[in-house]
Amino acid sequence: MHFSVSLTISGLGIERSDRDLCRDLSFSVQAGEAIRILGENGAGKSSLLKVVAGVMSVQEGQIFFADQDVTLDRRLLQQTMIYIGHSTGLKERLSVAENIAFYSPHAPLDQVDQALRQLGLFHLQDVLVKSLSAGQARRVALARLWFTNASLWLLDEPFAALDASGVAMLEAHIQQHLSRGGMVLLTTHQAPCSLSVRELALVP
Amino acid sequence: MTYTSFMRAQYAVLWRSKQDVLNALLFFVIVVTLFPLGIDPSPAFLTPAAGGIVWCATVLALLMAIEGVFKEDYRDGSMEQWVVSGLSLSLLVLIKVMLQWGAVVLPLLVMTPLLGQMLFLPNDDLGVLMLTLLLGTPSIFLMGALGAALTVSLKQGAMLVMLLILPFYVPVIIFATSGLQAAQAGLPYSGFLAMLLAMSLLSLVVSPFLSAIAIKASVN
Repeated sequence: MHFSVSLTISGLGIERSDRDLCRDLSFSVQAGEAIRILGENGAGKSSLLKVVAGVMSVQEGQIFFADQDVTLDRRLLQQTMIYIGHSTGLKERLSVAENIAFYSPHAPLDQVDQALRQLGLFHLQDVLVKSLSAGQARRVALARLWFTNASLWLLDEPFAALDASGVAMLEAHIQQHLSRGGMVLLTTHQAPCSLSVRELALVP
Repeated sequence: MTYTSFMRAQYAVLWRSKQDVLNALLFFVIVVTLFPLGIDPSPAFLTPAAGGIVWCATVLALLMAIEGVFKEDYRDGSMEQWVVSGLSLSLLVLIKVMLQWGAVVLPLLVMTPLLGQMLFLPNDDLGVLMLTLLLGTPSIFLMGALGAALTVSLKQGAMLVMLLILPFYVPVIIFATSGLQAAQAGLPYSGFLAMLLAMSLLSLVVSPFLSAIAIKASVN
């Protein structure tokens, strides 16, 4: 599977609680490229990801995906996009396996087993997410990335709460996604070690 | 996420949180039980009042069950995932509300004959009461979901939900209890049932659509 689409953002303005987070922001992500969004706390990194994902509405500017304007109707983008926000979306009352079945219902069972083993979650399959540690829960949320055909990954602080081996594993997985022509937009405070990323600074 | 996986997950969550449903049902039983104790245990009072008592208790219990229906989804971030899933948000809301309706209203219907006996409701009228419940409660649930979606981002939204939604409940209660009164007086009551069904169908058209807009505004 190889992707060859691009995402272009032009003249984007984000406003939150009557405060301008960014004005006239333009950039594009090409196939096989990862962009790390930089900025201080409250600079609007998460908001930018939410706007691209379609959680927040666009105040001004346009978003193009695969040469089509998706500013108003984000469905084309959403079908081939994965967004993992700061709140991961895991259901606490469901087990690890049930959460994975919820978000990735089409994942083949053997592939799920393999990914869970790799993520160190295999023995926790039937444990409720409620009783996992923050790092383990983060791994469960990120497990979606192992079963997806999405070309664009929007990751908000994906390395938060992960241990060193988890970070290395995720970086390797992102690298693999990039080598297939995928696109990644991420925010993180710790600089990735092995990942080559383009940096984009948000200045108010 | 697909519609089927969404439905499965919601069903599992509902099953694991059955205590909440049980609380609402228990509340329903307690309210109905308190009327004979508090006012008058004689059949002369209870038989004509039974419909009103059961309906008031139902509305209060359902309001309890529906008021926080989206709270957890908002808190854990899965509401954001609904919005970005590319699926129809209205349909997801409808699936969730319908599952919740089944979990609360079906046991409530099963308990109604027992409470009907306690309120000296004649067996012929019991059927009518259950029909009004079956036809009227979808509207109660759907409008309640709209209120819950509007106030999901507020910390203390319960009172606001009641204020917002109560006007929509008044006609349902009026038509349901008048239908039962008509049946008890031996008059035709099918018109009242038709009105209840009409209100439920209207809510079915309006509520998922508006709830979806409210949810989009809440996660914004």
